[in-house]
Amino acid sequence: MTFNFAVVFKFQDALLLGLLTTLKLTLICIVLGCALGFFLALARTSKSAILRGVSSIYVEFFRGTPVLVQLFWVFFCLPLVLGVELSNLASGVIALTLYMGAITSETFRASLKSVGQEQLDACVALGLSPWARTMNVVLPQAVLRAAPTLLSNCVSLFKESALVSAVGMADLMFVGQNISNNTARPVEVLTVVALIYFVIAFPLTRAVTVIEHRILKRLAV
Amino acid sequence: MSDTAPLIKIEGLHKSYGGVVQVLQGLDIEMTAGDRVVIIGPSGGGKSTLLRVLMGLEQIDRGSITFGGNPYISAKSGKTAIDAKVRRSIGMVFQHYTLFPHLDVIGNLILAPTKVRGEKKADARERAMALLTRFGLAQKANAYPAQLSGGQKQRVAIARALMLDPKLMLFDEVTSALDPELVAEVEQVILQLAHQQMPMVIVTHDMWFARNIASRVIFCAGGVVVEDGPPEQVLGSPKEERTREFIERVFHIKH
Repeated sequence: MTFNFAVVFKFQDALLLGLLTTLKLTLICIVLGCALGFFLALARTSKSAILRGVSSIYVEFFRGTPVLVQLFWVFFCLPLVLGVELSNLASGVIALTLYMGAITSETFRASLKSVGQEQLDACVALGLSPWARTMNVVLPQAVLRAAPTLLSNCVSLFKESALVSAVGMADLMFVGQNISNNTARPVEVLTVVALIYFVIAFPLTRAVTVIEHRILKRLAV
Repeated sequence: MSDTAPLIKIEGLHKSYGGVVQVLQGLDIEMTAGDRVVIIGPSGGGKSTLLRVLMGLEQIDRGSITFGGNPYISAKSGKTAIDAKVRRSIGMVFQHYTLFPHLDVIGNLILAPTKVRGEKKADARERAMALLTRFGLAQKANAYPAQLSGGQKQRVAIARALMLDPKLMLFDEVTSALDPELVAEVEQVILQLAHQQMPMVIVTHDMWFARNIASRVIFCAGGVVVEDGPPEQVLGSPKEERTREFIERVFHIKH
């Protein structure tokens, strides 16, 4: 069997379009998912038992079920339940945002806990208001500490996003599959698709290590 | 405020943890603006708790504290009322520095003045640089806490507290976490403040420092004041048996 990678280049525009869809979906879900995750983390550490209970059930549910099942549920069941039509992109964004919110909330929760009582005492001694304390001391430290894990979460999301191809969204994986079926060249096409994912994900995973090292050095007081 | 009117007046202060562990059991202390009070005593005797109460960091069970003649802290039907405005005129330095690790030295100094008093950033920076220069830390203005030695961190913490022009400074075992060779640079800074007539309450295990800085030494044990007097008397020839035992033990370990 001979391989002909030149075949793939004929489809570079289609692959690029697929990649753009993947990146768009991932970025939207990173932004929305991180915001959701931060508030979920606040809810999970709040004094209200109801907030704690609801947010915990939510997080445990989404961590304890396959993303593919969540995706199928949002694509096929949510429109029936809500009685509205959802575009492919909207469904993909909803499903992956809910998933991203659940995993980043765990990351934020751990980092919120790491801002110790002594830091809060210092804020009181300096007369900082609760708002100034949250915005200028707790939040920056929580985000800094969370940054490496958040970046890992983002890389995971980027890879998991390939699952949306299973429900017919034209992302990189979906386009790759189509080309591979039409050309009967699965080895070349799917190898290139894998490499594209890798080329984007690998520097990010390396960056996690570098950032982690820097932040740990900064916060080691 | 004259030098003889009480700056701080503590009356019948009781404090327990969870209603079980009695830490302060009826403390009465008066302090004038001319006083530099050093509190000594065994661990668990309530020294640090007293300082934390004075900073408004703790709930109290009973008693009251006035500051400059104004009500500051009181306990009413199990709830502690703390006057936040009075609290802002008190500064505190902690054993473990508690600098903000995500801000550089200048950032640590100007955060409270700009956020609490609405001071302009440029003005606060100027004052901060002047303080850092005075403490020999001008070159460290843009360093992060993690890049500083323990002694430097503690001097920055003192400068940070001074940025708010406190009328009283509290020092809670500020040299206990330091390597021995770094203790002097921190104590020098506090002595410098003492020369400028800054009223202060200091909790320390360093008897040399206590003798040199105190205008008054209070021996606290079991949550009450056991002995209170000038440093030569309390440290040199204590009247109370418990004070004498404690001093002998401390000096025995030191020599």
